[in-house]
Amino acid sequence: MTSTQLLLALLLIPLGASLLAFAIRWIGSGSRFLATTVHLVSISLVLVFSVLIISHVLSEGAVTALGHWFHLDSLGAIFLALVAGIGFLTGLYSIGFMNHEVRNGEIDVKTLCNYYGFFSLFISTMILVVISNNVILMWVAVEATTIGSTFLVGMYGQRTSLEAAWKYIIICSVGVAFGLYGTVLIFSNASNILVDPEHATSWTVLVEHAQLLDPTLATIAFVFVLIGFGTKAGLFPMHTWLPDAYAEAPSPVSALLSAALSNCAFLIIIRYYIIVSKTLGPDLPQAMLLAFGLMSIAAAALFIIVQRDIKRLLAYSSVENIGIVALALGIGGPIGVFAALLHALNNSIAKALAFCGAGNIMLKYGTRDMGAVKGVLNVMPATAVFFGASVLALGGMPPFNVFVSEFLVITAGIKAGHPWLTLFVMLLLATVFAGFVRMVTSVMLGKAPDNVQKGELGLLKLLPMGIFIVVMLWMGIRTPQPVVQLLENATRIVLNKGDAPLGFTLQSPWQMLNSTPPTNPAPTSTAPAAVPAAGQ
Amino acid sequence: MTDSFIINGLAGLLIVTSLLVIGAKKPTSSAVLYAFQSFVLVLIFLALAQIKHAHELNAWALTAFITKVLLVPCIMYRALGRLKDPAADSTVISPALTVLASAVIVLLSYVVVSHVQLPSITDLKPALGVSLGHFFLGLLCIVTQRNILKQIFGYCLMENGSHLTLALLANNAPELVEIGIATDAIFAVVIMVVVARKIHRTLNTLDVKQLTALKG
Repeated sequence: MTSTQLLLALLLIPLGASLLAFAIRWIGSGSRFLATTVHLVSISLVLVFSVLIISHVLSEGAVTALGHWFHLDSLGAIFLALVAGIGFLTGLYSIGFMNHEVRNGEIDVKTLCNYYGFFSLFISTMILVVISNNVILMWVAVEATTIGSTFLVGMYGQRTSLEAAWKYIIICSVGVAFGLYGTVLIFSNASNILVDPEHATSWTVLVEHAQLLDPTLATIAFVFVLIGFGTKAGLFPMHTWLPDAYAEAPSPVSALLSAALSNCAFLIIIRYYIIVSKTLGPDLPQAMLLAFGLMSIAAAALFIIVQRDIKRLLAYSSVENIGIVALALGIGGPIGVFAALLHALNNSIAKALAFCGAGNIMLKYGTRDMGAVKGVLNVMPATAVFFGASVLALGGMPPFNVFVSEFLVITAGIKAGHPWLTLFVMLLLATVFAGFVRMVTSVMLGKAPDNVQKGELGLLKLLPMGIFIVVMLWMGIRTPQPVVQLLENATRIVLNKGDAPLGFTLQSPWQMLNSTPPTNPAPTSTAPAAVPAAGQ
Repeated sequence: MTDSFIINGLAGLLIVTSLLVIGAKKPTSSAVLYAFQSFVLVLIFLALAQIKHAHELNAWALTAFITKVLLVPCIMYRALGRLKDPAADSTVISPALTVLASAVIVLLSYVVVSHVQLPSITDLKPALGVSLGHFFLGLLCIVTQRNILKQIFGYCLMENGSHLTLALLANNAPELVEIGIATDAIFAVVIMVVVARKIHRTLNTLDVKQLTALKG
């Protein structure tokens, strides 16, 4: 298959699966099996085709298809890997989770078909966000993700889930309207400069001509973009929809919202950051990202330490982590950008696992209240180990992957000359860690309620979690070389460095994240990033 | 001068119609007034097409007429007409304060755009200021109205503001850009209407103050 065919297949397969799932609900008996099969085939094909196109990007460089409409570079490839990988594993987990809900009468088979339909539609729209080169199409795709996922959030149809769905669609639509305004400003400005205004919609062309843009308009546009897509990403103070939506959605959807959608929205911010940094210089956009990042970490830390609802706590952790990504990008420089992208990957893997674990706990205990959930270690030992590991990982405990990226963020802060800021961030991270330890000890230990039967919930609800934990440990102990190469290439794109070496060596306490591609083994090492210090 | 006066004048009328959409008591009245406002937007597109010799804007005007003057108001009128909740028909701030806030918003927007240095809009800065102000008026509608149906209109007003900015600054943009934005906005409105109807059916309220079960 050519790269264009692969990109089109990535879009059309989940879209087709979505339409099929909606249609299957009308056929009566057998619709449950058929819808599940279509869903499984779709998520598997998306994963396989994503791996193929990402390896193509790694070996041959960026792919541009259908004129200037689609473009997949290493930066986009990282986020495509997230959507496809997390989509596959949460999709697999969905099968066990939703079957359990059907068996217990929480939803009927028609709702199950709708669930699979919207799930595939959601995946398709996120892929469109990642591979779009046309800035208007990017906006359309982000708006479409809201449309696709609103029904998933409100699927249970209860008072709280409908309230969450309303907040989600109204706040995100308003947020994304800000994004549209920012998009319109950049596009309008460029269309006055370029000979062919049609090219003003292409992100690649906008980056090339970014120096010609009007600085006032570029500044206003970036503010709008940061607020707009930052709403969707979950940055404070636009995050208010997020804890409600994540808590009320079915757990696999919470995982997908947190691990894939918020990153897709942040990818758009990065794309505009690249343009505006060339127009204005990096100082102003970095300062804005730093401010939003710091506010997000601080606010989330305060909520995490007092939270009693397991899923809401994980939701605030998403605010904290997207804050860390923004902060690292705001710190800037090769280490900061590399750390931001690595953290987006690492947090997503750990967060998706944590939401799956929370899903198992909810199915077993029927509640998310930390006061009522006790003795998970005794009731469901495997789930408890997976969930506990993911939560401690999110807190930044070694040897898990999140520790590595948080370590790099701290390193970037110190090297960039922000010792006090870094110290403050470390204090906040310590607060978050305390909040997570409090949750783990509270739900794992103690005596389980008498009405809760001992035993796991089945292989389909454990297997995806097992795969998640393997990936999490792999990324933590030794980040795979192709991933490092993708991250380095993406860092160059963000820093507008072309093919030039990044010129530094990144070192976490037990692994060297070599910053030079294997084909060019002569980096200009400035210094080891940091000594293997206490970390957390 | 006269040409730009027409556009700036129509843009001013847009603000008046926005206030009417926000101030209308019944959602059905808001739907009719929104259709009227969109018609003013269509007139601006047509005027810009003539003055700037931007023929793409004629096609935009047609798309906007179909989607904003006919389709969206019809959907809203039919879908929302039967939904009633008198308890939600009040605002967080008084109508007089809304007008005052709108004036401040438009003024601030004009100050912001007055720094923009683009030769194509030198004589249309008041209209550009209005387009930015219009966007924020939509936001004002969302935060000050208790009725969730009015919040949908707030989103529509924001979208009209972006649309006018696009027409003023990039009237040579390909038609596909405009169709993409208009189509997506319609889908967003349809989904909002569906969720609002579900909320009314399940919770028997349209009052945003009743949607406060989730906190913390």
